[in-house]
Amino acid sequence: MNDICVFIKLSDVKLNLHRYRAYLYLAPAIVLAALFCWYPAVKGFIESFFTVSHSGTVQGFAGLSNYRTLFSDKAFLNSVSNTLRFIVLFVPANTFLTLLAASLTRRKSRFSFIPEYIFFVPVAVSLSAYSLLFRELFRGKASVINRILGTDFLWINDKSGAMATLVILGIFLDFGLDYILLMSAFRGIDKNIIEAARMDGAGGWRLFFQVELPQIRGTVLATVFLALKDAILISAPIIILTEGGPYRSTETIMFYYYTEAFRSGNRAVQNSMAALVLTIAAVAFAIYSLRRKSR
Amino acid sequence: MIRRPLDQMKFVLRKVVLLLLALIVAFPLFYMFSSSLFSAKDFNKVNLLPAKAVFSNYAKVFGHRYFGSYIINSVGTSVLASVIRTVVIVLASFALTHLSFKGRNLIFSALMLTLFVPQEAVLYQNYRTIASLGLLDTWAGIIATSLFSAAQMILVMGSFMAQDRSSYDAARIDGASDLRYIVSVLVPLSGPAVLTVSIQTLITTFNSYLWPLLVTNKPKTRTIQTGITMLGFAESGDMGAQMASLVLITVPFMIVLAFTKKRIENSLIRR
Amino acid sequence: MIKRLSAFVLVVLVCSALFASGSSEKSEKTTVTIWHSAQGSNAQVFENLAQDFNNGIGKEKNIEIEAIYQGKANDVLTKVNAATGTDSLPDIAMMDATAALDMNNSPYLVTVDKLGIDTSDILECGISSYTSENGLLALPFNASALLYYYNKSLYDSLGLQPPRTLDEMAEVVAKTASKDRSGFAGVPATFELTTLIGAQNGLSYMLNNRNGHDGAATEVLFGKEGTYKAFLEKWKAVYDTGAYNPIASGVTAEFTSGRTAAMLASSSNLASVINSVSGDFEVGVAKVPMVNEKATGGTVISGGALFTFTQSEAVKTVLEYLISPEVQAIWSESTGYVPVNTKSYDTDAYKAFLQKNPLYSVAIKSLLDSNPGLANVWVPSAYSVYYSFQANIVDVLNGKDMDTAVSEMVKTVESAIKAYVSN
Repeated sequence: MNDICVFIKLSDVKLNLHRYRAYLYLAPAIVLAALFCWYPAVKGFIESFFTVSHSGTVQGFAGLSNYRTLFSDKAFLNSVSNTLRFIVLFVPANTFLTLLAASLTRRKSRFSFIPEYIFFVPVAVSLSAYSLLFRELFRGKASVINRILGTDFLWINDKSGAMATLVILGIFLDFGLDYILLMSAFRGIDKNIIEAARMDGAGGWRLFFQVELPQIRGTVLATVFLALKDAILISAPIIILTEGGPYRSTETIMFYYYTEAFRSGNRAVQNSMAALVLTIAAVAFAIYSLRRKSR
Repeated sequence: MIRRPLDQMKFVLRKVVLLLLALIVAFPLFYMFSSSLFSAKDFNKVNLLPAKAVFSNYAKVFGHRYFGSYIINSVGTSVLASVIRTVVIVLASFALTHLSFKGRNLIFSALMLTLFVPQEAVLYQNYRTIASLGLLDTWAGIIATSLFSAAQMILVMGSFMAQDRSSYDAARIDGASDLRYIVSVLVPLSGPAVLTVSIQTLITTFNSYLWPLLVTNKPKTRTIQTGITMLGFAESGDMGAQMASLVLITVPFMIVLAFTKKRIENSLIRR
Repeated sequence: MIKRLSAFVLVVLVCSALFASGSSEKSEKTTVTIWHSAQGSNAQVFENLAQDFNNGIGKEKNIEIEAIYQGKANDVLTKVNAATGTDSLPDIAMMDATAALDMNNSPYLVTVDKLGIDTSDILECGISSYTSENGLLALPFNASALLYYYNKSLYDSLGLQPPRTLDEMAEVVAKTASKDRSGFAGVPATFELTTLIGAQNGLSYMLNNRNGHDGAATEVLFGKEGTYKAFLEKWKAVYDTGAYNPIASGVTAEFTSGRTAAMLASSSNLASVINSVSGDFEVGVAKVPMVNEKATGGTVISGGALFTFTQSEAVKTVLEYLISPEVQAIWSESTGYVPVNTKSYDTDAYKAFLQKNPLYSVAIKSLLDSNPGLANVWVPSAYSVYYSFQANIVDVLNGKDMDTAVSEMVKTVESAIKAYVSN
């Protein structure tokens, strides 16, 4: 009798387990998302309206005063304008150059594997490797780049030179991935479409701008958004290359966040900035998905 | 085929631009290789080629007492992260595409919400979480925050949905467990998508800089990307050894790339 | 079966790898963790010193030093601030004056007085530079002095001596410049100004309360005392020679590659500068030029000190070892730092070393000749004040009105002081 009871219960458990197995499979994903994404995002967002001490205890409601502090902070505003400057310089340059490289190699030929490999190989070079390399290449007046160009520029020792170096570094960091995406997109275009256009007498520039480019606009858009995301969030290359200098000319939003949150332990700035970045990311992402849906 | 002069000019122009662009892209790498054989004098004189190749730069890197453990930590964490993330994503994608249960849409949307949260925005809070879990200076701490990615889950779900549902029902009737079906049918059929996820994770974990910098305080747990900025060669005037260390962490990936380039391209073109 | 078994093994491996942190060694030994900021070859020297301890005193007393490089001094500060409140604070951290203010307010700091270490042999200026109203915050360890580095081969060939004052410097700089070489490079910031301003009128402070050491600074002095302007006037004259290259970073590389004939840098760079020059020319060092004849205060002690977060006998033993005359002598000989233990100067080995390497004695002499009242500046947001000074000086060089620039700079520092709320 007892034995039967146990048997029934066991099978119950098994049955239940079976019924709930979907949750079991999803559990790791949910736990990870909750612990390292939802929880910190919500906590940071809420804490941005409170006064939080250096050690992390909540001391009282602050309303919008954290945001007011942030927006009256000259260093923060400076970091915003630096980031905007970086975006304006980097995104178009990056898109143009990767698109140029991809379009020049979009037709396969006997030796095309050589430029293809060269354009693709930046993928193999890590962020810290490129940053350390550029720190040497652009190290000031007595630098390799000046020697090659025959110039006498200060590069990372100069306000605009440091920003220029950072933009060039940014392009190298994104080049490989963007190139391979765009190049594959070109080659993935249906051959019949191109043939049909050729029959119609389209060639050269016209074929490129009126037929091929529109065909891959989805991929182009994706690389633009990737570049935009990287530009808004750039911080690690700055930590290695310029440390925000000279004269704070390369302090970007995320670099400023990093130094305030971790070096100065400034909770007001850290939480309100985190909340702002979240909002910007949400808006940018929403725009992107809406645009994708409308196509 | 007779080319008109204008076409010929365009052709030459294209090749010149191509050559120029290729030279620019390749130059930093060329300099990295070349300067890894430099002496201090070559750096001071801003040479492009070493006056005399100094191979001892490489010996210095191999002789560095932490270089080896940096590499082991990087390879270890990136392989672990890659395996775990792939498993997490495959299981979740399977549940979301092959099973019906209460709250399916809710869970799916909630997971999709993570796309809106860049890791950078929750950097500090996550650091505190890892610290309070006692995971600073562990491999678990280095990889914990990167074990799930909604973007990659979409990719895998797409591939799973493209598979024939009836084969799953048949497998169930035959008494095969879910895991068995996933391992022996579903994953092999979705090879490219699953492979993409694991390779991407491998590379991004190997290359990540800021997070490992924050959560490691000991050289024994540091990864190569943060370690390479702390080797101390550049600071003591041994720039050549610094460059040699860059060569050493780049070359393996260049070789892998040379062999997998075709496959990566094809998987992208097919989509 | 085999598959299951191997899966099990994999799981065990993964778990053990995940939670292995390398700290699970024998428990009888007390490990003292030190986060240091000694760069490059200096790091090697420091880690060797730790090794020597582990093989000697440490073995006897069952103590082991774990010396960990964490980047530059301000990277160590970042790490320490981030680790505050977690269980990963080190026992000892090597940081510099920019950390002093944060540490002065940290509930986790253990002052040297509490540790009960005898500091009677330590350089007087070293002690006073890390003393606040709460006592001696940190034990001076890697002490240095600002020096005037110059290309001695070039100076000798032109029959020039390193300048004693900024007036002389303007002349010398003009004479040593050529088409592809500047006479001097670099823009002073807080670190250089503590000496260039501090030495004026025998002894001057940039902020009240002895530059913030006797309680937080509440007032800016360099404006109303005219010391900053006095410096700017002379510095502009150097710039107006046209032979001065005002770059803010990469100065050492300019100097070692022979592209500038002189620079101001810490004595702690001496060994690595000589190494980088690798015999291309002879390196010379001299005392920092004075702003004017009345600026007789000398050079402020700079460099770093050891901040402690654990109160234990083991930590005390380690600290006493690190400031012992022998260790300080070795440390100095292989880096260029100044021994903080005055007993080091009396050892025969160190005397012989200085005889052979006269460059290393310049920093010592300039510290011993200085007014020990000189103190480095403890200012909130040290990092941004640093940049503000450089930007302000460059503005003046480019023609900005000096009085406007001074009052702007005063305002910047005042607002940094006001914004700082200690918690």
